[in-house]
Amino acid sequence: MLKTTVEIILRSFNRKGLSSRYLSTAVQPRHDEKLETFRTPENDPSKHNSQHLAQFYRIPLEDKNALFHQSALPKSFEEQTKTFNEICLMVRKPGIDIINYLNTLDYTKPSVRFVLYGQKGSGKTLSLAHILHYAYRNNYLLVHVPWVGNWMHRSKEFSNSETQEGYVDINLDAAAWLLHFKTQNVKLLKNTDLKLLETIEWNSRESTLKDAPLLELVEHGISRIKFASRVVNILADQIKRLSSEGVCKTLVAIDGYNAFFYPSTKVYTEKREMVPPSRITVTEAFLNLTKFDWTNSAIVVTVDELAVPDENQISYFPRYLLGKEGFNHIDPFIPVPVANYSKKELTSVINYYIERKWIQPYPGQEEELSLLANSNPYSLMKLCNSL
Amino acid sequence: MAALKGILCKNQLLKSKITISHYIQNGMSQFPKYYIEPVYKKEELKELEKSGDIDRLAHLPTKPASSDSTCSFKQDPDINLFVNYVMKCGKKSLARELVEKSFENIKRIQLEKYHKCESEEEKNKLELNPRVIFHNAVENCKPLVELTGVRRGGVKYQVPVPVAQRRSLFLSMKWLIAAALEKDGKVRFTDQLARELVDAAHSKGKVVKKKQELHKQCEANRAYAHYRWN
Amino acid sequence: MFNLARNLEKINFKNLEKQIILQYHNAPQSKNDEFKALNLYNVKTNRTIRKPFQRPPLPDPRTNQMPIDQDWGSVWPGPRSFHPASVPLPVRQGYVEKGAPPDKYANAELMKIPNFLHLTPPVIKRQCEALKKFCTPWPKSLKSVEQMEKFFPVEVTSSDYCHSSPTIRDPLARIVTIRFKLKSLKLNERETDKFRRLVGDRYNEANDTVTIVTDRCPLRKQNYDYALYLLTALYHESKKVEPWEELKSEADMEHYIWENNASKQSVEALFGQKVEEIPNIEEYSKAVTYYMNEGENDYTIGKYGEAVKKLLNLPSL
Repeated sequence: MLKTTVEIILRSFNRKGLSSRYLSTAVQPRHDEKLETFRTPENDPSKHNSQHLAQFYRIPLEDKNALFHQSALPKSFEEQTKTFNEICLMVRKPGIDIINYLNTLDYTKPSVRFVLYGQKGSGKTLSLAHILHYAYRNNYLLVHVPWVGNWMHRSKEFSNSETQEGYVDINLDAAAWLLHFKTQNVKLLKNTDLKLLETIEWNSRESTLKDAPLLELVEHGISRIKFASRVVNILADQIKRLSSEGVCKTLVAIDGYNAFFYPSTKVYTEKREMVPPSRITVTEAFLNLTKFDWTNSAIVVTVDELAVPDENQISYFPRYLLGKEGFNHIDPFIPVPVANYSKKELTSVINYYIERKWIQPYPGQEEELSLLANSNPYSLMKLCNSL
Repeated sequence: MAALKGILCKNQLLKSKITISHYIQNGMSQFPKYYIEPVYKKEELKELEKSGDIDRLAHLPTKPASSDSTCSFKQDPDINLFVNYVMKCGKKSLARELVEKSFENIKRIQLEKYHKCESEEEKNKLELNPRVIFHNAVENCKPLVELTGVRRGGVKYQVPVPVAQRRSLFLSMKWLIAAALEKDGKVRFTDQLARELVDAAHSKGKVVKKKQELHKQCEANRAYAHYRWN
Repeated sequence: MFNLARNLEKINFKNLEKQIILQYHNAPQSKNDEFKALNLYNVKTNRTIRKPFQRPPLPDPRTNQMPIDQDWGSVWPGPRSFHPASVPLPVRQGYVEKGAPPDKYANAELMKIPNFLHLTPPVIKRQCEALKKFCTPWPKSLKSVEQMEKFFPVEVTSSDYCHSSPTIRDPLARIVTIRFKLKSLKLNERETDKFRRLVGDRYNEANDTVTIVTDRCPLRKQNYDYALYLLTALYHESKKVEPWEELKSEADMEHYIWENNASKQSVEALFGQKVEEIPNIEEYSKAVTYYMNEGENDYTIGKYGEAVKKLLNLPSL
C-alpha cells in the first residue's frame, strides 16, 4: 500500500526544474578569446606603459613572498589571491603615472613626494603595491609601511621611552616592522656597501660599531625588542644619509600616512593617558623619512579615510585628511587621484573573475554590477563574492 | 484513496499560478483579494507584451512590488525564501548577508577543489555555481513522506503521510539551517552552512541522512498507513 | 349516524354564509350614517394656515447697471476689501473638491486677499499729474546711474504718512534710512575689512551697499543727524589702527595668504633660494592660495598638482 502511495507521490511531484538561467559552470565555454584583453603576459612592472592599462599582470611567487609576506596586503585581497591560486594586480593609471615619474626623476635633486588619494576602496593600497613591485624589481631600498593605523589604533604593546622624555615606544610593532623591512630588502642588505656611519651605544655593555652592516642593526632591533623603536629611528636616519651619499636608491611607501597627523590614537601611557601620534617614537622616523631634505629617493604615501574614525570621514582629499600640520609637512607634493573603475577596467575585472571561475556570467551582468557597485573596486569585489 | 486524490488536487492547485491567498484569507494583508500580484521582471513583462496579456492586466488593481523584489537576473524566489527562514527578529539584511557569505564560502570550497583537480575532465565535472549547488542541496533534502501521530483506540500511532510540495521545501530548508546551527561555538554559521550545502548537493551529510532515516521509519510504520483514512 | 348529522350541519352553515353575503351586497348605500369623529379634546376644526415667509426681492447687482465707459477711479477710489456688486469682473477664487472655483458672490477668499483695484494705470496717471506741482524738477545733467552715484553717494529715505487718526504725526515717519556704496568711501583693504566688521550684517556683499536705519530718536531730524554721525564715526574708526590689531595671527586670518605661511618657507628651504629667484613660483603660490581659499575639490587639487609639477620641473602626464 505504502509503496504505491509513494510511487503516486513521486509521479505527482514533477521535480521542480531549475530555471535555465542557472547554467551549470561545467559546460561553459572558456573565454580564451578574451584573454588578450584583460591579461598581459608582461609581468615586469618596469615595462608597463599606458598600453597595458586595465590589464592584469601576475606577480611571480618569489616576488610575492619577498614583498608581501605577512599581512602586507589587505586581508580580503589576500583571501582572494588564495582562492584564485595566483596573485594578480591590475595596471591602473595612478600606478603607471608614478612609475613613469620614478623612471624620469632626477635623483640628485631633493626627494619628490607623491600623495595617492581617493575614495574608500578605490584601490590606493593596490596601486601602491604595483609601485612597490616596480621598485623591488629596480633594486630600490624599500621602506614600506603596510598600514600606519595598525600602530596608532591596534598597537599590541606600549611602554614609556627610555631615551626620550615624554615619548612612548611601540616596540613589538616596531620589531615586526623591522622584520618586514628585512624580508623586503634581503637582497640589498647583503650588499656590504650599506654600512653604519657611526657607532651606536645601546647601553653600557651593548653597542653596534661603525662600519657594521645595516643588517646587523636591523637584526639587533628584532632580537632585542626593547630597542626596536630606537632602531627604527636610527635606521631611518642612516638610510637618509646613505641615500644622500649615493650608496642606495630608496623608495618610501607609507599606506594610511594621515594617521600620523590625526590627533587621537589608542596608544596610552602607563597612567592611561592618550598619546598623540607626535609623541610616539616611530612617528618621528617616518616623518623624518618623508621630508624633502635628502636625495636619491622618492616618497609615495597614501591618505585614506579609513585611517581616521568614522565620524571624521567627511572628505577624502589630502588637505582635510592630513590637517594643517600634515599638509605643511609634505607640501609641495604631487597629488595623484585614484579613481573608481572606468568602463574598460570594469569589463576587464569582470572578465578576469569569469576566467577565474569566480562569477558566472549572466545577461546584463556588467551594467548591473557597475551600477550596484558605483564602479567602486571594493564594492564590486564584495558584490561579486556571492554571485 | 479518494482523500489522497484530494490532497494531490490541492498540490496541483498550489503549483499553478494561483497563489494560496486566493483560497485562504490573509488577515493582515492591506489589499483586497482581487488585487493581482505585481510583475516586476523585465522578461516576464516582455512575454506579456508579446502575448497581449498586458492589455488585460494594465487596468487591474495591482499590489506594489515588495522591497526585496528586483528585476535582477540573479534574483531567485527560493533563495529569498531561504533568507526569510534564516532571518531572526526581522533582521533581514543580516540574514541576506549570512546567506551571501555562505555562497561565497561555497565558491571558495569548490574552487579549492577545482585547483586541486589534476585532469581537465575532473575540473569540468565540478559544479562551481553556488546557486546551482543550493538548489541541488534543497532538492536532495526534500522529504516525500513524514510521520504524524494519529490516536486510535487510545493508542497514538505514528502514521506515514505524504508531504505537500510546499511543506517539503520548508522542511528541507529548515533542516539545512538547523544542521548549520548545530556546530561548535568557534565555527561560523556561514562556514558551516556552506559545508552543509555542498554536502547535501552531493547527497551526503547530516541532512540527507536525516531525510533517509525519516523515510526508513515511514517504511517501518507502513502497517499503520490505513489509519489515515478510517 | 354521527357522520350524517355532521354533514347536515355543514350544509346549513354554508347556506347561512351565502345569505349573509347576499344581504351585504344588496344593502342600499345610505349617506346619513357618516362616521362621526370622536372629539375628546375639543380641537378647532378649521386652522388658519400660516403664510410662508417670503424674502423681499433683492435688487440686481450694481454691476449690471454700470455703463462700459464709466470712470473707474470714482467707483473704486481707495483701498477697500473686495465687494462683488461693485466689481464688474467675473472673478473666481478658492478651491472645491469637484467643479470650478466659487464665483465672486459671498466669496471669503476674495475678501481675504489684498487687491489693487484702486491702483489702475489711468488712476495712477491722474494722481501723478496732481502731485507733479509739488515736486522739484530732476537735474538735467544727471543722466546716468554712475553720475548719480558720483555726485550723490548717500541715499536718504524717509516716509510721510497721511491718514485719518486723532494725531497727524505717525510714529513711523521718524525712521531714516541711509544707503551708500562702500567703495565710495575709498578705504584700503585693511580699513574695508574693519569697516565691514564694524557694520556687520548691514553690509550687503552682493551689491556692495551699506544700509543704516536709525529710529531711536523721536524726531526725523534727530534720526537723520544720528545716521550721519554714525557714518562719520564708522569712517574714522575704521581708519584708526589699534595696537591690538597687530596681534592678529595666522589662525585669525579670513583668507589664506601664501606669503605668511609655512608653504613659502618650505619652498624656500627646498630650493635653497629666495622666493623671487625660483622659477614658476608665481603659479605655485597662486595655486596654493586658490586651493586653500576655495576648498578642496578635483579642480583645485588638479591645479595645485600641475603647479607643483611645473615648480619641480616634472613633465605633466
